[in-house]
Amino acid sequence: MSSSSGQTSGHDLSFKILLIGDSGVGKSCLLVTFISSSSVEDLSPTIGVDFKIKTLTVGGKRLKLTIWDTAGQERFRTLTSSYYRGAQGIILVYDVTRRETFTNLSEVWSKELELYSTNQECVKMLVGNKVDRDSERAVSREEGLALAKELGCLLLECSAKTRENVEKCFEELALKIMEAPSLLEEGSTAIKRNVLKQKQEPQARQNSGCCS
Amino acid sequence: MTAMQTNSTPAVVFTALAGVAIVAVIFYGASRKRKHALSPQQWKVFFTEDGRLRDGGIRLLKRVRSGGVGPRIRAEVWPFLLGVYNFNSTKDERDAVRTQNRKEYEKLRRQCRKLIKKSNESTSANEFLSSQDRSPEAESSDYPSIVSLEGDDYVNVSNADASLLDTDFIESPEVIQTVPSDDDQEDNNPMKTNKDSAEGLEVIQTAPPEDVQEDNNPMKTTKDSAEGPEVIQTAPPDDVQEDDSPVKTAKEPLQEKVPSKPPTNEDFSTWQRIIRLDALRANADWMSHYPSQAAVSDSVARRTAEAVGLEDYGHLEAGRIFHAARLVAILEAYALYDPEIGYCQGMSDLLSPIVSIISEDHEAFWCFVGFMKKARQNFRLDEVGIRRQLELVAKIIKYKDAHLFKHLEKLQAEDCFFVYRMVVVLFRRELTFEQTICLWEVMWADQAAVRAGIGISAWNKVRKRAPPTEDLLLYAIAASVLQRRKLIIEKYSSMDEIIRECNSMSGQLDVLKLLDDAHNLVITLHDKI
Repeated sequence: MSSSSGQTSGHDLSFKILLIGDSGVGKSCLLVTFISSSSVEDLSPTIGVDFKIKTLTVGGKRLKLTIWDTAGQERFRTLTSSYYRGAQGIILVYDVTRRETFTNLSEVWSKELELYSTNQECVKMLVGNKVDRDSERAVSREEGLALAKELGCLLLECSAKTRENVEKCFEELALKIMEAPSLLEEGSTAIKRNVLKQKQEPQARQNSGCCS
Repeated sequence: MTAMQTNSTPAVVFTALAGVAIVAVIFYGASRKRKHALSPQQWKVFFTEDGRLRDGGIRLLKRVRSGGVGPRIRAEVWPFLLGVYNFNSTKDERDAVRTQNRKEYEKLRRQCRKLIKKSNESTSANEFLSSQDRSPEAESSDYPSIVSLEGDDYVNVSNADASLLDTDFIESPEVIQTVPSDDDQEDNNPMKTNKDSAEGLEVIQTAPPEDVQEDNNPMKTTKDSAEGPEVIQTAPPDDVQEDDSPVKTAKEPLQEKVPSKPPTNEDFSTWQRIIRLDALRANADWMSHYPSQAAVSDSVARRTAEAVGLEDYGHLEAGRIFHAARLVAILEAYALYDPEIGYCQGMSDLLSPIVSIISEDHEAFWCFVGFMKKARQNFRLDEVGIRRQLELVAKIIKYKDAHLFKHLEKLQAEDCFFVYRMVVVLFRRELTFEQTICLWEVMWADQAAVRAGIGISAWNKVRKRAPPTEDLLLYAIAASVLQRRKLIIEKYSSMDEIIRECNSMSGQLDVLKLLDDAHNLVITLHDKI
């Protein structure tokens, strides 16, 4: 599925990104649309977590993005919460046609994020999906912007179906991450660690540096 | 001349074998040779004149354990495998169970409709449920804590229920769903009988099927057992009169404490919402296998969808709409039936194959209930069930392959969280439709054998084979990991990579090899585990 395993080819930076939000807002669709060139519909609900890797060049840097997709149902949250650890970027997704998915971002998800994210400077991004269904819109762009301001993050409206703004989501997020010196540092040490690891014998590593 | 004749025999044999192999490929999507699936002819032979399975179902289970069930008789065989029908039951007894089950299901549906109506009328359905003592933490048995229905029906059995039903049928458009196919299959049933129903109608009618079996099957529940039988007795008396009240949990809170996690905010209306989302995105690979179900007319599909309040289905074809509507109806009823579990994502994956194969909603529902008796542990809010399963997978791997396990420990992956999805949806995401069904049938047969007390001894008599186990799935999962041991040990240096490997197994697995490996693991390890 993913464009490359990413371990061997040269990257300048490696970042971990997490997608969160209510069930059915289109987290997996966003991810799959971003990863592959075909557009998708009706993906089965995510059980637990999954992730995909995408390599791309942003701002002249070759990036490896490890993007974690999580289940939306509340019941899976104990499980998914451990995946916040070490993420440099977190995308909060809502469905512009279902208002409760938007209000849950401020009432539930942003709190989860505060609770579990270990990175102080972790970059957040608000993404309103399904703008192709404009006639059914239940959350205005202005409201989205207001929440983004409140949470101190970016807002992008997109459509996984038409691909509108999908790539931009991840690129903008990556750019923001690179603007934060501490995150930039993390991103490059992840690469260095990997290079080091490959030079030494593979057995010598202690931890994956990611999740538990 | 003679030489030619002798030569021709092997050729015939060879051709026949090739035929078997082709059948195996068609049914299981794998190229390995395997015993035939249970055929309709064999299935018929298993029954006595009064429609009772000979030898308590042992031969049936043996067949299914080694080859699964032929596609045409699945709808008949599954209710046995899933404990809806007792192996010792006669045709008459099963008919009685079936009638009672249908009533109970219809009652659940009525309650669902009322809840929806209520929630539409601004009072939220949550109040309805949360005002009752829903105690998600309480449960640790394999039994749903649902009880009110029995009591309820006890009163209604011969009178009110039927009339109530009728009126409801008239006002509810949902009838469409049940009516066309509803003209009782009893008549089509090859097993004619007129003898016996010693159990007494009352027992059959007042207890859910799992309890009916209690008498004959020393039902071995997995871990915490013991709770089951009490379920009926603990029915609170007030449930008896309250026809419309949704299901209550009657169990007292017990042992297992919920880890610090606050109780969830999930409620019936949450479940309703997620059920509808998931139903619409159910995997559609069943359609090519069961084209008759897929070929429902557009108007029937739409009416059925409307009846359960499905929306946003315009982009789907009729077969999928209809399928989604049936999923909604049954999952919603289940959420009421087993409110401690309610609805959890992944359950639609488990129900979808059942709905594809069993055309009656109420029958599909009770098969699902039977399936969930074991699987529901995985969906518990406190995650105790799923953790236990993962621990068992870890244990199997550890005993079988210490070297691999050490590697997992080094990567801090010894908790085996990387097989989470396989445990929760029982390989549904990794295997094709037919492969999944093959695996499930073999697994169900194992569990049914354990339930019926057909233990190791009965199996050893025949030949040295894997004894039935409650946990065949976990052995199969461990087998799928062990099949990749070299890759994992040599190439993977983080848990992420293992997760990715496991999550991308779909299309890579040979279900027959998987079952063989799993059975071998059972043979070598079942004593230790």
